[in-house]
Amino acid sequence: MRTEAATPESTACRVTLSDFEGPLDLLLFLIRRDELDITLIQVSEVAGQYLAYIRSAVELDIDIAGEYLVMAATLTRLKSRSLLPSQRNHDQDQSDDSLDPGKVLLRQLTLYRAFREAAAELRDSEETWRDAFPPPGERGRFQDALREAERGGESGSILELLEALESLARRDEPGLPHLVQRPVLSISECIDRISLALPERGSSGSFAGILGETPTRQRLVSFFVTLLELVRRGWVASRQEGPFGGITLERTGRWA
Amino acid sequence: MTLDRLAREVEALLMASDRPLSIERLCELTGAGLEAVEQAVSRVEDALVSGGHAMEIAYLAGGYRLVTEPALGTVVSRLFEGRRPGKLTRAALETLAVVAYSQPCTRAHVEAVRGVNCDSAMKTLLERDFLAISGRMETPGRPLLYGTTHAFLEYFGLARLEHLPRLDEIGNLLALGADDLEKAALDLSKDGEDDH
Repeated sequence: MRTEAATPESTACRVTLSDFEGPLDLLLFLIRRDELDITLIQVSEVAGQYLAYIRSAVELDIDIAGEYLVMAATLTRLKSRSLLPSQRNHDQDQSDDSLDPGKVLLRQLTLYRAFREAAAELRDSEETWRDAFPPPGERGRFQDALREAERGGESGSILELLEALESLARRDEPGLPHLVQRPVLSISECIDRISLALPERGSSGSFAGILGETPTRQRLVSFFVTLLELVRRGWVASRQEGPFGGITLERTGRWA
Repeated sequence: MTLDRLAREVEALLMASDRPLSIERLCELTGAGLEAVEQAVSRVEDALVSGGHAMEIAYLAGGYRLVTEPALGTVVSRLFEGRRPGKLTRAALETLAVVAYSQPCTRAHVEAVRGVNCDSAMKTLLERDFLAISGRMETPGRPLLYGTTHAFLEYFGLARLEHLPRLDEIGNLLALGADDLEKAALDLSKDGEDDH
């Protein structure tokens, strides 16, 4: 029921919105329609109408461009600020000018209006000059001549043709696949190594000794994970003197 | 009216060239002096007019160019039916205007002025060769800078960038601070000039 009732009005709104080149265009349209000037007070006057447009557009079509919503937020902020008593003193007023949202909006509107008018004049020039056709000139002519030459203005021998074909084939030859293999040290391998280093119950050794000199990071991690696994299983007891100290391992009787 | 040798040389060059020929280039090609070439150009112009020809000489993008009379555009465009790119959209025209007056400028600048995303308009204009990348801005991210091309001037019948409409007015607006802009806005509104 509700949607049916809302459709004619909302459709009109969508059609209208798509006629505009963004929020500034819509605002300028509203300002001009009400014969207002681009001043803070008068822009605030049309803010309500702008918001109404956006609201009905949003009801119908969620895909409304984000820029329209940002402008709606800016206008709402301007309106709410105009309701509050002014708290700013003069010093701040001076320095805040470039950041004042009202001033920024006025600047945008003025600039945009000037460019919109310039664009309209360009449109007039386009109308006139689009209908003035220059001769095609040498570019078109010589491009054709070049293409003719490329197509084989000079005849080549069969041999040259075969050579060319061969060189093409060579270029297309796929190179040998280059596989990069990463040596992976599995945990079971590490267990074997540790088992060798600690051959029987009670034998002990330092973790650093098992790792060997300058182990790769991968080796270090693999062995450390293995160490944790062995401790969890209770096959190995570990001891560390202090933080960052050396770790000593001792094989327990539960090693399977 | 019979044209002298130099005037006919100029006419032939204009006919054969695919781009506007500057007066200096015409001097170079004909070997004649500046003044002589200028006079030759106007003799060709006179001959075209008095002979009732369908062509005229236009001064575009810094040079002379022979073009068909715009009034005959309807007939001539039938020749290119289906092959001629369409007129520019309003979005494209506005984008082009912003770049033309502020160049070199970034896409972000264009979007700030227009208040909307300009991706597709910029793309169209780059494709149609009305805009070109002219460098990078030396700020973080080094955004691309855009400028207009010779094709732009030719398309809009402009002899040079200084002939853009409202150049002073917009130049002043771009240079003004926020405060002055507000005043300028008031002045402009008094003129009551606005299109829509």
